[in-house]
Amino acid sequence: MAEPHLPERQSPLEPEYNPGSHGNFEHGVDVILSETRLGSILQLAAWPGEEKRLIEVIRKVTGLALPDGAGGGVNNGARAVFGFAPGKFTVVDEAEGLAQAFAGLITPAIGTLTDLSHGRTAIRIAGPKAEWVMAKFFAIDFALPAFPLGAGRSTNHHDIFAQIQRSGADQFDIYVFRSFARSFWKALCHASEEVGYEVQ
Amino acid sequence: MSPRRTETGGRIDRLRTIRFTFDGAAYTGHAGDTLASALLASGVTLFGRSFKYHRPRGLLSAGVEEPNALVTVLRGEVREPNIPATMVEIYDGLVAVSQNRTPSLAWDIGAINQLGGKILSAGFYYKTFMGPVIGPLKGTRFWMFCEHFIRRAAGLGKAGAAPDPARYERMNAFCDVLVVGSGPAGLMAAKAAADQGARVILADLEAHFGGSANWSGETIDGMPAADWAQRMAVQLAGNDNVRLLPRTTVWGYYDGNTLAALERVTDHKEAAAKGEPRQRYWAIRAGTVILATGSFERPLVFPGNDRPGVMLAHAAERYAVEYGVLPGQRIALFTNNDSAYRSAVALKKAGAAIVAIIDVRGDISNEMRRLASDAEAELLASHAVIATEGGKAVTGLKVQRFDAMSGALTGDERSIHADSLLMSGGWSPTIHLASQAGAKAGWDPARQAFLPPKPTQRWIGAGAFTGSFSTAEAIAEGRAAGLQAAGGAASSAPLPVVETLPGDPDPAPVFEIKAKGKSFVDFQHDVTAEDVRLAHREGFVSVEHLKRYTTLGMATDQGKNSNVPGLAIMAEALGKPIPEVGTTRFRPPYTAVSIGSLAAERFGDLKPERLTPMHDWHIANGARMYSAGLWYRPMIYGLPGETVEQAYVREARATRESAGIVDVSTLGKIAVQGPDAAEFLDRVYTNMFSTLAVGKARYGLMLREDGLAFDDGTTWRLGEQEFLMTTTTANAGKVMQHLEYFLDVIWPELKVTVTSVTDEWAGAAIGGPNARAILASCVTGTAVDNATLPFMGIVHGRIAGVPVMICRLSFSGEMAFEVYSGAGYGTRVWEALIEAGKPFGLVTYGLEALGTMRIEKGHVTGAEIDGRTTARDLHLDWMLSKKKPFIGSAMMDREGLIAPDRLELVGLIALDNRALNGGGHIVEELDEANPHDSLGHITACCYSPALGKYIALALVKGGKARHGTRAFVSDPLRNRFGPVEIVSNHFYDPDGSRMHG
Amino acid sequence: MLITCPYCGPRDVIEFTYQGDGNRERPQPASQDLDAWNAYVYDRLNPAGDHNEIWQHSGGCRAHLRVVRNTITHEILSTAFARGGHKSADNKAESRS
Repeated sequence: MAEPHLPERQSPLEPEYNPGSHGNFEHGVDVILSETRLGSILQLAAWPGEEKRLIEVIRKVTGLALPDGAGGGVNNGARAVFGFAPGKFTVVDEAEGLAQAFAGLITPAIGTLTDLSHGRTAIRIAGPKAEWVMAKFFAIDFALPAFPLGAGRSTNHHDIFAQIQRSGADQFDIYVFRSFARSFWKALCHASEEVGYEVQ
Repeated sequence: MSPRRTETGGRIDRLRTIRFTFDGAAYTGHAGDTLASALLASGVTLFGRSFKYHRPRGLLSAGVEEPNALVTVLRGEVREPNIPATMVEIYDGLVAVSQNRTPSLAWDIGAINQLGGKILSAGFYYKTFMGPVIGPLKGTRFWMFCEHFIRRAAGLGKAGAAPDPARYERMNAFCDVLVVGSGPAGLMAAKAAADQGARVILADLEAHFGGSANWSGETIDGMPAADWAQRMAVQLAGNDNVRLLPRTTVWGYYDGNTLAALERVTDHKEAAAKGEPRQRYWAIRAGTVILATGSFERPLVFPGNDRPGVMLAHAAERYAVEYGVLPGQRIALFTNNDSAYRSAVALKKAGAAIVAIIDVRGDISNEMRRLASDAEAELLASHAVIATEGGKAVTGLKVQRFDAMSGALTGDERSIHADSLLMSGGWSPTIHLASQAGAKAGWDPARQAFLPPKPTQRWIGAGAFTGSFSTAEAIAEGRAAGLQAAGGAASSAPLPVVETLPGDPDPAPVFEIKAKGKSFVDFQHDVTAEDVRLAHREGFVSVEHLKRYTTLGMATDQGKNSNVPGLAIMAEALGKPIPEVGTTRFRPPYTAVSIGSLAAERFGDLKPERLTPMHDWHIANGARMYSAGLWYRPMIYGLPGETVEQAYVREARATRESAGIVDVSTLGKIAVQGPDAAEFLDRVYTNMFSTLAVGKARYGLMLREDGLAFDDGTTWRLGEQEFLMTTTTANAGKVMQHLEYFLDVIWPELKVTVTSVTDEWAGAAIGGPNARAILASCVTGTAVDNATLPFMGIVHGRIAGVPVMICRLSFSGEMAFEVYSGAGYGTRVWEALIEAGKPFGLVTYGLEALGTMRIEKGHVTGAEIDGRTTARDLHLDWMLSKKKPFIGSAMMDREGLIAPDRLELVGLIALDNRALNGGGHIVEELDEANPHDSLGHITACCYSPALGKYIALALVKGGKARHGTRAFVSDPLRNRFGPVEIVSNHFYDPDGSRMHG
Repeated sequence: MLITCPYCGPRDVIEFTYQGDGNRERPQPASQDLDAWNAYVYDRLNPAGDHNEIWQHSGGCRAHLRVVRNTITHEILSTAFARGGHKSADNKAESRS
């Protein structure tokens, strides 16, 4: 069934989302913050031993070939995928409807698909001080050799659970629970004041 | 030029004058000065009053170990007490005040305590105020009365009450090599590791890298050591793989080579830049740590060793060389080792007269004799200082012949006129971090010091930290450590060449000169040598007990100066060698750490806010919010002038009369998916779910492994292999972990995925006689009539153009529906429901009305499922399937869990028509003066608009058997007593006709 | 304290939740052996030394780990996924598939 056109979704960040330059930006803006407002955020899980079949389905549907290894991932701009737990992957698309594209392909023999397009909020931080600001929140190593391009990590900031993908040499996409998104966003803006930030 | 400032020298910028105040008086200093050096340059000798006796105190040291010159720094209304003046970098507008004096530093009434010195000895407070009550003047109560005054008289700086507006941050850092300390050893280590390509962090608690190189006066590779250090630091700063952290104290060494450090980012600045934190707490995870933390010079213990003007020898050297300040014009030195001779030469060179070097040793090397003559100092070998003279500053000292072996003083006393007395009692490696990291330090009889233990974590020592006190050794060890840490091969390349004065690193084993008068061991806590001996006489033989009884080493300097002298005196009293007495283990933090830096970004409420999709709507529409865990939920939507009770009564009444709507997005929601999902639910719920039809929901109950009730909620079967489980708001996380544990650990063969989808769905519960009509008027794509949507049925449709899932279930007891939509559409659907409800007088209601209606219905929540109640206690035994085992089924029938006198859920009606209180007890007989024999307690209470009475739910012994009987509420804390009737918990519509409709 | 998650690598202990003694043996679900259930629910070894524990990487991949930790030194001697290597009286018997 083709979905009729759906209205725009409300962002959880709205009243705190203030485009423009903020903080100590007189000397330049060192990070750019944005909500990427993805249309689709899916969680795919494979039963033990079925990971390869699931990865193949992901490749077929999204065109993204997952590299080997825990936390491996790839990002082509419009779509991205990364592993965040044993046999589990986050797959995202700028467009809505990715779940329908997978329908019927993730068979009960392979695993499950859970649509989290509303339940997770994607926040992007980019710029020369992205690693510096991220280090204020998460106790993981953001240096490029330790956290390669495309790779994913599951971690938390106090009570806020986060999945993070490195989507560029100095760019990270952070997936947080929607209900925590505004609180996290405020904290992220606060922590970025020191280096000067721009909200796009 | 100030009286004590030298003409040249030091790293201060004489062209820049900085203005600041100390105790209200204006002073100036130069850029690069510390508060200590600037005040010393201005002729200030009196910096503080001691903790207990209010004795005048001056600078003992020039660094982090300073015990005396503690000040409070004020920034507006915010005051930070107990900062060593030696660690405060001056800036224009700095306001600092001294501590522990009334009314002023120079005239302090507390100094009268000095007269009572004998009385205020170790354990005075314990002996005077603790113990059995004998008359009115002893015992805990008397102590509590006196404590107020004692605390005012004794102590350190006062904390402020103003909120601290400064920003604090936490940083997580990772490196291959963390180098702690930036003296020659640390600089060499950092350089060697960085050259190998390792990621290096170099931290030093001082503002300038270089450590002792900044004041040693030595030459390294043909240039002044300070210049060499500067050049090394510049080279390191140019490396991308090196992070330099000046003003950063590494204060904790924890498991897994995780270290804690405090960076003072803006404490030395007039103002922070926008967004710049005052301090940063660094959590550093290091592959290898290089401990190049140097050593501390020890004071000697002799009468009057605390008088202002008595200073550590190297500290005076440092003030002269690094800051261009002479602590005195006529300087005497008192030592048990060679290092003081170098200090004498340096101070002579800086322009002071060295009147005497008093050395406890008899056999003084020719090299030292030559240094003494270079300093034009009279050398008094086999002598000791037995007293100092002067009031608030040293004016002279008395010496006597001394035998280092026996400690005996002989011959005539001789007075020496001096305005400064410098002492050196040998050096103790700064082993604190190594001690924190694990093993016990070992006593080295040659160095007369505790040397670092064998590493139990991945650290390597270098330089004075290891007991290698010469710069040449430090340089060699530093490079070797750096190479080793970075995995490089040992190098045979030539090392930087050090030119230095001679000196034997081993002191004479003399720590104390026993003569008449107070000899201080712990300056900050006013612990004297006699206090240590008194503790010994009173039976405190363990070093840990000694520490606690005398408070030796327990002040903010944590024994950095007093540790070894204290142990030496204790060892002598015990007649044991020092290693047998042992040492206390150093614990974090190495220096005082601000609470702000530990809280870091968790300011204000200290927790993130969890908001539902409709949060902004609630706020805009007058909701008073309530924090439930991390969630914010509407409590009431009050009208102007309404009390909370009036509001919730209105909301609940309107719901029962027509319709009400409440945000239930906070309910925990877990997607349970996979071929074995139904089987899994059969195992975790007490009732069956495999028999549930697709498109239907069922109320479920979970037990814990021990058979007690755990959580409840409805679970919806959305597909053959797909369930949507709901949990209580509070238990969502716990239930998720419970399910994950069983799937991962106990039943890995089950093919089931569980995923938190709480945030995926916005939920609105709409209930009341008109709820269905409201839905019917706004839902498209499905009917909502009884046939299409029976009780516990689920339909899919659209509201306002977006897909919704509607389940007919009821918490309020009314005909009710839960409407779920994607969270991003939550407000849109909510507003559409509100709009559709207008013709029906739909009200929004909050948690209070929700709670009221659930009490009227007798439903349980976390207040009743409190971890002590069973399904039977809550009258949920009808949910315990006998057809299958489930989690808790084997344990739930244990004797104690089925006993007849267990607390059971009942309803209460207040017969005096007054409000009841949660937590109030239920008794059979009312005895207000002596409440006893509780039958149970109230778990939830409200005014019931449906009954027109104050009611409550309670857990009461015997429960059901008491229905229809009278009892009393007894709540002495809130003075609420009165008669109640015990009834069924199902107050309202017990047969459910309203919701089944 | 650091725990090395086989999936995520070494992480700080604050990312983990202790999920109990790893020596517990859960009786078969239908077992009525109350002594066995009692031992499973309540009896703990509490050794001073190496201890077999279950930790969940709750602030990360959420996998459960079998961790051998020295209770005196906090040293982590080994970590592995708990899945598969679990202790249960008879897994096969209760497997449905």
